[in-house]
Amino acid sequence: MTGPQIILRLDENGRIYRPGDTLTGEYRMMAVDRQEVKSLEVSVLWYTEGKGDEDMRVHYFRRLSTEDGDWIDPRRPGRFTTVLPNSPLSYDGRIVKVRWCVRVRVFLKRNREVVGQRLFRLGDIPTAKTLATSRS
Amino acid sequence: MARTFRYFEKKRGHRRTGSKTLAIAGEVVFFTVFLVGGVAGLIVLYNTLLVPQWRANTEFVAHRCVVRDKHVGEKPSDDGPLYRPEIQIEYTLNDERFVIWTYDIWVFDHTGGFSPGKDDKLAILADYEIGREYRCWYDPDDPSRAVLVRTSRWWIGLIFILPISFVLMGAGRLVYLLFFVGKSAERRSAFAQKAAKLAPFDGNGRTTEEFPAIPAGGNLTDSPGTTLTYRLPVAASPSWATAAAIVTALIWNGLVAWLLVVAVRGFLRGRPDWLLTLFVIAFTAGGVLLLIHAARRVMVATGVGPTLLEVSQQPLRPGHPFQLFISQTGRLHLQKFEVRLVCEEEAAFRHGTNTRKESCCVLEETVLTREDFEVVRGTPYEVECEIQLPEHAMHSFKSAHNEIAWRFVVRGHLAGWPDYERSFPVLVYPNQSDNGTS
Repeated sequence: MTGPQIILRLDENGRIYRPGDTLTGEYRMMAVDRQEVKSLEVSVLWYTEGKGDEDMRVHYFRRLSTEDGDWIDPRRPGRFTTVLPNSPLSYDGRIVKVRWCVRVRVFLKRNREVVGQRLFRLGDIPTAKTLATSRS
Repeated sequence: MARTFRYFEKKRGHRRTGSKTLAIAGEVVFFTVFLVGGVAGLIVLYNTLLVPQWRANTEFVAHRCVVRDKHVGEKPSDDGPLYRPEIQIEYTLNDERFVIWTYDIWVFDHTGGFSPGKDDKLAILADYEIGREYRCWYDPDDPSRAVLVRTSRWWIGLIFILPISFVLMGAGRLVYLLFFVGKSAERRSAFAQKAAKLAPFDGNGRTTEEFPAIPAGGNLTDSPGTTLTYRLPVAASPSWATAAAIVTALIWNGLVAWLLVVAVRGFLRGRPDWLLTLFVIAFTAGGVLLLIHAARRVMVATGVGPTLLEVSQQPLRPGHPFQLFISQTGRLHLQKFEVRLVCEEEAAFRHGTNTRKESCCVLEETVLTREDFEVVRGTPYEVECEIQLPEHAMHSFKSAHNEIAWRFVVRGHLAGWPDYERSFPVLVYPNQSDNGTS
């Protein structure tokens, strides 16, 4: 038996997004009882990976809460849509990496929470390599 | 069955470990102690310092008294004797006669109003003549308390800084915890962004709304060039670095000189300290190296003239050509002069209680190289060239702990002189084909 989980799908699965593009998709909650759900947060964000401490910034954030009267039905898929910003672009450096993702966090009763995350690429920056070309 | 509360969590690389719940509980207790301690301190100070002074200055009733005796009171302390003026006065209130020793309100304080220095107290006593009538103020709640002077000690306010800082630290952190505990990292980030938008000014280190996570770089575009549009600022002023090198060398060698004197005295007295001598030899070697380093910096700072770099556009765009103007002044024989374009990643991370930084060069491109030539005073070496960043190069990026920085590095190899290197930061925005704008 598997526990609660969140499935995320992007409408244009796998493509590289460009700044200004519209990111759309949907999330589904699996094995989650409606009575158990307290609130839900959908975020589109970037975060850093690598040698340094992690930095994170949310580009899009939406929160639904049953306490605020929002209707959260785990049986029905939820949708999200946002226009992507100009920066930062996804980057796979040597000690600094910038990742973009859609993250859905569902808060359940008894302080439990379920998180689902789906990475995507913004921009087409190649992997960092040390170049030493000479032009004079 | 999964536990909802864990004392310890698994370690994930170098990231934070431990139970979040326990950490928050610990933080709440710690800062509550700060807050309660601060409030208690404030109450005690208010009642013992402010209230007596305020009552003496405003509520005590004016009256007449006769000075009967006077002397300087003395009290021993660890830092030497302490003194206070003590004046015996006599006054009558409602047919009741009072004879007390007093001066100001602090005589009735638990410290007794004692302080160092006898002369100023003698000077105070000189102002009062035995047998003469003076004005005094008595406490209407306790007529046996009276003062000859009303004083205001302004520096009492400074004592309040400590408990107030405790209250601010404790209350500030508790409010933060109250507001953010139980909130997700995303929600906290969204809230912080909303708060940042309300900030009334936009500093140089801040990013712009149109290009998030890219430094605004106000200081990179506020200086117009003489040949091209923008003159680039130098990353670190060479004069500061030279001054730091000189001061370090002087302090180090000053300490070495003192140790040297101690060591030589030992030899002269016939009791040499060999361990100290070994230390002095090693430290002297270090001192000589520091002096050489400082001397080289002074030579470069005074002998090599300013290097000027100007660009035709700022911020730069990958794949788009731009003009670069370089000017080197001074009176030099340059064996090699090169200008490189460098992209560096920089990461800051916590290692125990320290914050460390690590950098890594991911792109280094030689823009210009010239060998074996003279720069004559009054006729700077000037060159203008066209450059293009790689089409899909990463843009400048800055977050709290991570950075991707672009800069031009000018390096000169001088005949018979130490080499010099100067760095000029530039701003790189995303390629227009990457960001979808035209």
